[in-house]
Amino acid sequence: MSKELHSPTSSFAMEIASIPGGEDIRKCIQCGICSATCSVASVVDKYRPRKLIQKILIGERNEVLKDDLPWLCMMCRTCEDRCQEGASPVDIFHVVRQLAVKEGYIPDAFKQATKTVLLDGWMLEDAYSDFIEEDRENLNLDTNLEWNEEFTRRLMSKYFKGVI
Amino acid sequence: MKEYFYYPGCTSPVRLPQYEASTIAVLDKLGIKLSYLHNANCCGAQYVESLSPNAFVAMSGRILALAEKFEKDICVTCGACNHSLKHAKHELDNNKELRIEINSLLKEEDLEYTGAAKVVHLIQILRDDVGIEKIKDAVVRPFDPSLVLATHYGCHLTRPWELAQIDDPENPMIMDHMIEALGATVVQYPEKTRCCGGPLLAMDPEASNRIGLEKIENVRSVGGQGIVTACGFCDIQLAQVQFGGDLKSEDRIPVLQLPQLMGIAFGIDEETLGLDLNKISPEPIINALQEVKC
Ligand code: SF4
Ligand code: SF4
Repeated sequence: MSKELHSPTSSFAMEIASIPGGEDIRKCIQCGICSATCSVASVVDKYRPRKLIQKILIGERNEVLKDDLPWLCMMCRTCEDRCQEGASPVDIFHVVRQLAVKEGYIPDAFKQATKTVLLDGWMLEDAYSDFIEEDRENLNLDTNLEWNEEFTRRLMSKYFKGVI
Repeated sequence: MKEYFYYPGCTSPVRLPQYEASTIAVLDKLGIKLSYLHNANCCGAQYVESLSPNAFVAMSGRILALAEKFEKDICVTCGACNHSLKHAKHELDNNKELRIEINSLLKEEDLEYTGAAKVVHLIQILRDDVGIEKIKDAVVRPFDPSLVLATHYGCHLTRPWELAQIDDPENPMIMDHMIEALGATVVQYPEKTRCCGGPLLAMDPEASNRIGLEKIENVRSVGGQGIVTACGFCDIQLAQVQFGGDLKSEDRIPVLQLPQLMGIAFGIDEETLGLDLNKISPEPIINALQEVKC
């Protein structure tokens, strides 16, 4: 898409635009199609992707990075398909999340799930009960799921020191 | 017989084992063999993706490297895995620096990512390796056309198109055509391509529920008698939300995974397809078969 790019007006917008994925912030014209199309916005009053992007554009760095809002996006990419300017709110919010992580703000749900996955090698170790094992047996499926946690633990020490 | 490595992910084996069983049974009937990828790890899903993009690529990178070692392509049945693995492949194929970084991690296990293994979702196998004609041929008990079904593909199955390469994200029809080949009628409903709400479950369960229920109401509004899915996560979510509100049990709409539905028409027995494990009884769908062709 050869749309005209505009220059970011706030230092926060410039910071976002300088990180891969975040450059889309320069395409947004604040039309609001993303908010109109977003499933989360249809049920959560405070969540509006356009508004969140606006907060970035006007430089509300602290408010954005210390809030749950950027973490409510389901990454469904419906808005991205419909944005007439070829901007991806998802890619922008991904960059916001990375910055929030650097600033030490991670919602508990994300922290917990990541910890579980890295320690166990998979998500549902605790949920795998005898009953389910029996269901698998009845379906002729292997009951030994054989997940590997050595690798994910190595990732934990390489990428998540001081993060979770 | 074509053979794939099956990577079922971590959700289905525990919460939806019938998806795994019916996938294996149906593909076997169609001449495709699945074998398991042992000693794998989770793909990391949106959680790791949000916290560390490089660790996210590393997790799927290892799965891809394992498949390469045994010279097989990977079959996935979950939207999240579909996205993670295809995203990682794209990154590793295009970002040299990242590939070096991930390969240095894999080296410890004598693994290497070179890009040889492909990732395909079950739907792609059914479309590209099997084809509608063969699916039609495998039907022994077609559904009655009076059975009206709705499809839900799952966002991470179709978006972004550049990675997923499955179907038009704004108007997906592949699965619809497959279901028509089984005899049933497929209905279009408002907001068909909208998310099931599942990814919001951890952050805001109440909102997640409402998004899922909106979908159910949209299916009901056009007379859908069942919902057919192609993602374990979506399947679980769309069944689960129907227990949270004040829906009467007779108003619940059965949710089935595509291979379960196919398996019924292929004459595979109900135990093998794990139909009794579905949260909402698929009885009305099983009863909508035409008389057996002799
Ligand atoms: S639809 Fe695109 S241009 Fe419009 S507000 Fe959203 S991101 Fe900006
Ligand atoms: S990707 Fe996020 S912002 Fe866009 S429609 Fe989906 S939930 Fe809303």
